[in-house]
Amino acid sequence: MAIVRFLIKRIVAIILTMSGVIAVAYVMMYYAPGSFFSSSQIASALGQLAVQDPHAYQVTLKMFEERYGLDKPLWEQVLKYIWYSLTFNFGNSYENPNVSIISQLKVALPISLELAFGSVVVALIIGLPLGIIAALKRNSWLDYTLSTLSMTGQAIPAFVLAVLFILLFGVVWPGTLPINGWGTFGNVVLPVLSLAAPNIGTFARFVRGSLIEVLRQDYIRTAQAKGVPYWRMIFRHAIRNSLTALITVVGPTFAFTVVGTVWVEDIFGIPGLGKMLASAFGNLDYPLAITSVYLLCMLVMVTNLIVDLCYAWLDPRVKLE
Amino acid sequence: MADALLTVENLAVEFQRNRDRIYAVNGVSFSIAPGEALGIVGESGSGKSVTLLSVLGLIAENGRITSGSAVFQGRDLLKLRRRELEEIRGRDIGMIFQNPMTSLNPVMRVGDQIMEVMLTHHVASPKEAYRRTIELLEEMGIPEPEVRFRNYPHEFSGGMRQRIMIAIAIACNPQLLIADEPTTALDVTVQMQILSLLRDLRQTKGMAVALITHDFGVAANFCDRLIVMYAGSVVEVASRAEFIRRPMHPYTLALKESIIEVGHRHREVRAIPGMAPVLTSPPNFCAFADRCPFAIDRCRNERPQLRSFGNGHGVACHRAEEVLELVH
Amino acid sequence: MAVVLEQSPAVRPRPQSRWLQAWRRYSRNYFAVAGLIWVILFLLTGIIGPWIAPYGYADTDFLNVYQGPSWQHIMGTDNLGHDMFSQILWSTRFAIEIAFGATLVSFVIGVILGLWAGLAGGITDMLIMRLVDFMYAFPSYFLNLILVVKFGRGLLPILFAIGITGWAGYARLIRSLVLSLRNSDMVEAARALGASPVHIARKYVFPNVMTNMVVALAFGIPYDLTAQAALSVVGLGPAPPMPSFGNLVANANANILGYPWLLYFPAGIFALTLLSFQFVADGLQEALNPKGGN
Repeated sequence: MAIVRFLIKRIVAIILTMSGVIAVAYVMMYYAPGSFFSSSQIASALGQLAVQDPHAYQVTLKMFEERYGLDKPLWEQVLKYIWYSLTFNFGNSYENPNVSIISQLKVALPISLELAFGSVVVALIIGLPLGIIAALKRNSWLDYTLSTLSMTGQAIPAFVLAVLFILLFGVVWPGTLPINGWGTFGNVVLPVLSLAAPNIGTFARFVRGSLIEVLRQDYIRTAQAKGVPYWRMIFRHAIRNSLTALITVVGPTFAFTVVGTVWVEDIFGIPGLGKMLASAFGNLDYPLAITSVYLLCMLVMVTNLIVDLCYAWLDPRVKLE
Repeated sequence: MADALLTVENLAVEFQRNRDRIYAVNGVSFSIAPGEALGIVGESGSGKSVTLLSVLGLIAENGRITSGSAVFQGRDLLKLRRRELEEIRGRDIGMIFQNPMTSLNPVMRVGDQIMEVMLTHHVASPKEAYRRTIELLEEMGIPEPEVRFRNYPHEFSGGMRQRIMIAIAIACNPQLLIADEPTTALDVTVQMQILSLLRDLRQTKGMAVALITHDFGVAANFCDRLIVMYAGSVVEVASRAEFIRRPMHPYTLALKESIIEVGHRHREVRAIPGMAPVLTSPPNFCAFADRCPFAIDRCRNERPQLRSFGNGHGVACHRAEEVLELVH
Repeated sequence: MAVVLEQSPAVRPRPQSRWLQAWRRYSRNYFAVAGLIWVILFLLTGIIGPWIAPYGYADTDFLNVYQGPSWQHIMGTDNLGHDMFSQILWSTRFAIEIAFGATLVSFVIGVILGLWAGLAGGITDMLIMRLVDFMYAFPSYFLNLILVVKFGRGLLPILFAIGITGWAGYARLIRSLVLSLRNSDMVEAARALGASPVHIARKYVFPNVMTNMVVALAFGIPYDLTAQAALSVVGLGPAPPMPSFGNLVANANANILGYPWLLYFPAGIFALTLLSFQFVADGLQEALNPKGGN
């Protein structure tokens, strides 16, 4: 089966890539001054604990030293760390040495997934029709307005938009929509909009361009010559073909959105993976920081794999290889 | 001609390109009788495709029909609304195009593309449409039609794709098939196969065919009657026999000489000097004058009208008589 | 004369230089022109800002914190009594230094790797392109964070962190240009006619490459402006007292409910700047690589 072979090949590639990245990162960190993984780093990260409870401090320090094999040679440490990462054995964080990272992830990861996928879906739902309208009414004032708006959405990064939303709903119209926290539907609206806005612009512009291109194709004229009614021609022939091209931008867009969740979760106080990453970097909590980077990158790579599968499924000319 | 299938009268089409207005078709009139094979010959840019595409409302959006009528079965196609025209396209008038490689929807199974035309016009139930599609594929000489039904266009060769295009065009048994350079993009041997397929279809189904081509040889071989177009005007119209016996327009003479006669002693290809013009003002002169060895001052100042020379032979040339005398 | 022979050089007016033509197309795009004006103002501010700033960027005035705009502080003051106007002038300076510096670093790396891959071919090409694919798939923001944590939050570490993660696009562009030009008929014909390599490069390769370069760089600079500001969101922007738009916005966000006006100037100016760069980049793309019009 071509598809099974393709999947195995790609998954192996992802594992190899991630291992390579971890190895390079670890070695780089090891040799750079003030290594991430050294007894002194850990000790300083646990400084507070040392004051509060010297005994627990000793135990925790020992635990971290043993986990990362800090007394072993470098290559052993690297292999150990790669193995931990690939088996999703992330250990504990410096900040909360008693709680395993994986148990924190069980709460945080679904939230980030919901945000990331939700905003891409919202962007598709809004961006596609805008792009289609712009393409069908090309060179009209409507098209120019939509194109300018799309470009504005693309140019303003999610974190600026998020802050502007907070200004709007925290200061100008306080109480209309929650600007902090997670759990209700209202909490979802602003973060998803902040993340979706740039993607709406990207999708709308891309669909406009590809639909205009498709409408010039010979097979559109064939459909018209067959007497296919206009709107059916647009949907069945033109849009269907421009969507296959759109799939190729969904991958990079998703990566962009995953990065955006870090900002948006931090700004709106959403307890997701992005917020976790942001505070881990802020507190120099390396196990947690590197784990969240690792997982977000995995998410991007797996999504790219899914996108490639969709592309092959939508466009019969594409062969999986 | 009261019994004509399609009568085009004084058709004019313009295109807007940047700041220029291009006069692509300038007062073209002709008619096609039921079951007739009409050849429309001209260089690229002569307006031969635009003439027929505009009749079906298929020209690009920067094009505009400025005058004329095109009566098909008692109705003027140019006056119909989009909906009404859509009903005629594909059902009463089928079309095939120059480039079979790009004329089929790449993400749709070919069988579905053939079925679509029948379902669109409600000439068959889905089940019947499927059966008929298989029949059509067989008729087109495509082996294993049930398997090929489920294939996508990229899995076919150019010749095969053109056969599928023909299947789409004739699926509803139209009375008129417009073939726009159907063999230009194909190998010579495949060209022959496609042309003989079209010829068979015409005989068995009795449909009229309008063959648009730049290849005078192909047209003379296939058609009963020919129209030669130049710069958006008809310069000569006559039956095949008349064309072979006494072509009169200097442009037709030049076209005939530019045919490569394979197997002939003199394999000389004589290109017509100069280039086909693009008109940016309505022609009140003979557009061929600049390339014509017979041109006189009058040709540059007065547009020649189509004049009848008997036997349905018409020529638009001020000097047709002299040309006839000189050449024959 | 009414009959125009197409492609006839005798009838066509002599073509203007491609840059002049591009400028004419560009100047018809009002958004791009407006964007260009703002970008020029922004750049000028970056150059002369430090001289016209009424206060130093580290100057604090604890007696006047959280002030609204006044004659003394025309854009108000923040929680530490920094003069907002001076902060913005200095932020502009640093933002330009980082964005242009980082873009230059990316560009140089991209050109070197792209040329290398395109000219060497074979396994070298494959390895470099694998690396490029990886850099594309891997969100460079995370690399930036790690590098900044590692090497510090000064101007140069930030500049290099952004620079060495953003070269993949340039490398891919350069490689594809090398490949397409190596196989192009134009260059082939020139070589067949005995033109010297230097002549070919100057006459055919360079102008083609230039337009693509300009467009890529025009999109690269706003990208790097965004990248540096994004560091501030997780608190890894330039270390205080060095000001930056990211820091100003993050700081304003922290105090937004009590002192919302802290946000107006930095966020407004930053958003306008990004938008202007985007319009300029887009205008340049349309002007330099017009694809068949409409």
